[in-house]
Amino acid sequence: MNNQRPNPSSLTRQGMDYGETADVHQVHAAIQREKREPRVGLEPLSIWLIAVYGLAIFAGGAYLGRYSGNFSGDSLDIAYIPPKKAGPGGPAGGEQQAELSPRDRGKKVFGANCQTCHQANGQGIPGQYPPLAGSEFTTGGSRRPAMIVMKGLQGPVKVKGQQYGSAVMQPWESLGDQKVADVLTYERSEWGNTASPVTKEQIAALRKELASHPASFTEPDILGVPDQELPGAEGGGGAPKPGEPPKPAGSPPPAALGKAQ
Amino acid sequence: MTPAADIPLKQPAVSATASDAEQYERALIDASTRVPVLMFYASAMVWLVIGTLLAGFVSFKLHSPDWLSDVSFLTWGRLRPVHMNIMVYGWASMAGMGTAIWLMARLCRTTLRHPLLLVTGAWFWNIGVAIGITGILMGYSTGYQWLEFPPYAALILSIAYALIISWAVLMFRFRRGEQIYITQWYLLGAFLWFPWLYAAAQVMLFVVPVQGVMQTAVGWWYANNLMFLWLGAIALGTVYYMIPKVIGRPVYSYHLATIGFWTYALFSSWTGMQRLVDGPFPAWMITASIAATILTMIPVATVGLNHHMTMQGYFPVMRYSPTLRFTVFGAMSYTVFSIVGLLISLRSAARYFHFSEATIAYSHLGLYAFFTMIMFGSMYYIVPRLVGREWRYATLIKLHFWASAYGIGLMSLMLMAGGLAQGASQNDPSLPFIESVQSVLPYLRGRTLAALLLTASHFIFAYHFGLMLFGLGRTSTVPTFLNPVEAEGSEAHL
Amino acid sequence: MKGLVPLFIGLFGTFTFSWVGLTVIPNLQIGALNPQMDEEGTDIYPMPQSGMVDRGRRIYAANGCIYCHSQQVRPDYAGADIDRKWGQRRSAPRDYVFDSPVQLGKKRMGPDLANIGRRGGAEEEKSPAPGGSPAQSPIPGGQPAAANQLPAGSVPTPGASPTQSATAAAASPSPAASASPNPGGEPAMYSEAWHHKHLYAPRSMNPDTRDSNMPAYQFLYETRRINGHRSAAALQLNGADAPPDGWEVVPTFDAQCLVAYLMSRDQSHPLKEVKGGAAPAASPAASPAAQPQKK
Repeated sequence: MNNQRPNPSSLTRQGMDYGETADVHQVHAAIQREKREPRVGLEPLSIWLIAVYGLAIFAGGAYLGRYSGNFSGDSLDIAYIPPKKAGPGGPAGGEQQAELSPRDRGKKVFGANCQTCHQANGQGIPGQYPPLAGSEFTTGGSRRPAMIVMKGLQGPVKVKGQQYGSAVMQPWESLGDQKVADVLTYERSEWGNTASPVTKEQIAALRKELASHPASFTEPDILGVPDQELPGAEGGGGAPKPGEPPKPAGSPPPAALGKAQ
Repeated sequence: MTPAADIPLKQPAVSATASDAEQYERALIDASTRVPVLMFYASAMVWLVIGTLLAGFVSFKLHSPDWLSDVSFLTWGRLRPVHMNIMVYGWASMAGMGTAIWLMARLCRTTLRHPLLLVTGAWFWNIGVAIGITGILMGYSTGYQWLEFPPYAALILSIAYALIISWAVLMFRFRRGEQIYITQWYLLGAFLWFPWLYAAAQVMLFVVPVQGVMQTAVGWWYANNLMFLWLGAIALGTVYYMIPKVIGRPVYSYHLATIGFWTYALFSSWTGMQRLVDGPFPAWMITASIAATILTMIPVATVGLNHHMTMQGYFPVMRYSPTLRFTVFGAMSYTVFSIVGLLISLRSAARYFHFSEATIAYSHLGLYAFFTMIMFGSMYYIVPRLVGREWRYATLIKLHFWASAYGIGLMSLMLMAGGLAQGASQNDPSLPFIESVQSVLPYLRGRTLAALLLTASHFIFAYHFGLMLFGLGRTSTVPTFLNPVEAEGSEAHL
Repeated sequence: MKGLVPLFIGLFGTFTFSWVGLTVIPNLQIGALNPQMDEEGTDIYPMPQSGMVDRGRRIYAANGCIYCHSQQVRPDYAGADIDRKWGQRRSAPRDYVFDSPVQLGKKRMGPDLANIGRRGGAEEEKSPAPGGSPAQSPIPGGQPAAANQLPAGSVPTPGASPTQSATAAAASPSPAASASPNPGGEPAMYSEAWHHKHLYAPRSMNPDTRDSNMPAYQFLYETRRINGHRSAAALQLNGADAPPDGWEVVPTFDAQCLVAYLMSRDQSHPLKEVKGGAAPAASPAASPAAQPQKK
């Protein structure tokens, strides 16, 4: 053919067998019988194929639309779309508070903090953690259990006729007045206990009273205090039924508690 | 040169043997590619044999766990990632690169320049894989699937690849001819996508790690895209070369090829999250991947139709040509693989198949039935052109093909059925968990049988390849046909 | 196709589209989550793990536990995970913010382990094992069979280590180590001693695990001569697995770390963004009105 023949020496030496030449007649038989390099035809698209495309696009798009949960990062379940955000902080938190009774809130606090030792059934561990169910401290006046919860307790203590004292109870005043009140309300109305609820204001007042007291009471400290209700409580009264908000008793309605603290 | 620009609509199937000048050109090109490509192929074969032996161990230990269980570097949990990584980075990547190098040289119509880049790259790659698997065996696996190599091994692989891609860029820069053929799109895509993928994964997981479950998301995005954008692209590009080349007809339609390529690139790369269905992720990610899997039916149909119409009337050639047989098997497997992928990732089916052995069947359909079989086909075509000999024993080729075909077929069936049994059992909370293990054990034993078939197949091929490598092939002008050619004027000028 | 430039742009574009869509955007959505806290700044979940648990995670990854075990609880409509007591609620991205690498897993040859440290609350309401202290197990480095009593003056403080309280809050009998064996002589299910025995000889447990195909991790244990008296950490083995007389099998530090990691797997804490997961009584743990508080 009329084409240039590139100089074979430098380019091919590196790859050729010993004794092999670049002469075209010595080209491997494999190459000689090879067909030309591939090329493309130009057949038009079939209408059926376009129909297949349409079907795939429709199915894929439909699936995407149906199960994407609004493309939100919060939407983990295909059928669960998180409601619109109500706005930061307060109102949403307050609404949530309003849905739960103090007893329910207290149950959450109990579960997160107290259950480890006092157990979910309030029975404690014999010899180690005193029970709360039927305990004279829990079900008596609210002052004593409130003091214990706020400042903690150590040393030997006798509850329901059994001796305890190997473990130390830490102070829980850092939980905040609302949570302390709620958990006391819960403990005093659970497991057969029927004692009055405790409010946030009562705890706030108690906190001021105990402000100068270092952490941790001992049994004599507690027993030295009269077994009475904290001031500000309604007289006696059974535990509020679950789900009902506590009687106002002069304290602001629960809905406004919100982020007050 | 023969004009390649004006192509009539229907090319008459006359003898299409190339002219002298083209032959001479190809001889030079082939001669120049000899050392680098054979180096990649030889390395890939070694890894294939080691990886297949490990596959046998891994399969066996899954139903007979007390065998060789006392040694830390033989524990199943380390052998399995070693097997996977050897197969993906040792066998698949190197065979893929070997084939891609030869194809690039042929299609760029220029002799291979700077072979030292490739040879060095191959050696660094081998070293990287070896160090990586040693790291895993010693207990330094990173814990990310398909990325278990410790970072120092990943670094070596990156250096190796930098050399290889420099070569690819240079080749492309000096190519001749205006048109960029279909195969070259796929190969260029593969050569570029792999480093971007690898770099993105390494950065997002090791250098500036993402937090929490995003690690798993990035990991599976990488693994899925490695399969499609690196291995799958090389395989499809190879099919687009081998089929028209062996039968001497043009590819059916340029438009189909274009649509097929771009939809493949677009949709396949989005399918990674289907491995995380119903996991702790925003639902849209998973759904997007499942929708993308539905949409990958577009490239599957397109590419499949294109190949089918190109082959139409020439299917009998598969009787004779090893290349065509393996390649068409692989191309058809691409369709099967994609459909299986769609079926097991729809949420209603994922309830059973997710977390079960069926996912292994899916990945092996892709890595073996699709990619590896196409690579085998390309090696059967290319190696004779590099060593100047023909394959010695047609029987060995036939054994190789059937053992592989039955092996992967049996394995896929066993694992799909076993996976369904396992998933169904796990989804019935009244059954104790051990029941799901008991229900899948017989299928795992069946899978070990398949592993034996595949081991035999690979040993046969390795032996045959070794013969070729040492110049012990047949000296002949006639290629090794799988069956005797009947008539003189047949199309079987291969 | 002519033209390298359009080809290159197309290749780069499709890749970037996938990369941005599947990794960058989700990373913006869930890649910077903080743990959940209540208004008081307490009750933080999850808490970063450290020490032995962290090392245990690496051992878990290095030995390929992920290839058979998952650590994600699927929602009830997607599978029977919750029915199987593998968790009380589905897993959410926030559960994993401090895990690195996250071992979500994608195979379940073995059961899901997301809540193995708490056993999914199945035994929650049962009374604790006699003499067992619930706060035992999560204490890192603790000998499994030692010290049934808390030393005087030591108090589990949830503020400092909520994992302990979260794990122990269930009052589950399981963390009572080997102090409370089941009638069959096996350690309590999923206790530390149970895990050690299971890792050493998976098929030696109750008849349920005889067909288990879990590999034995004996290389994580050391067989040594009994020095004086049997050490408290020695595994209770019987039959063919037991060491010869005068020898005992003790866990290495790696085994202890691995078990500490397993015992820390607990996703039972309710999350606001996930339905369910309440403590057993009817408390509305995950209020839909609350928003996940991202900072």
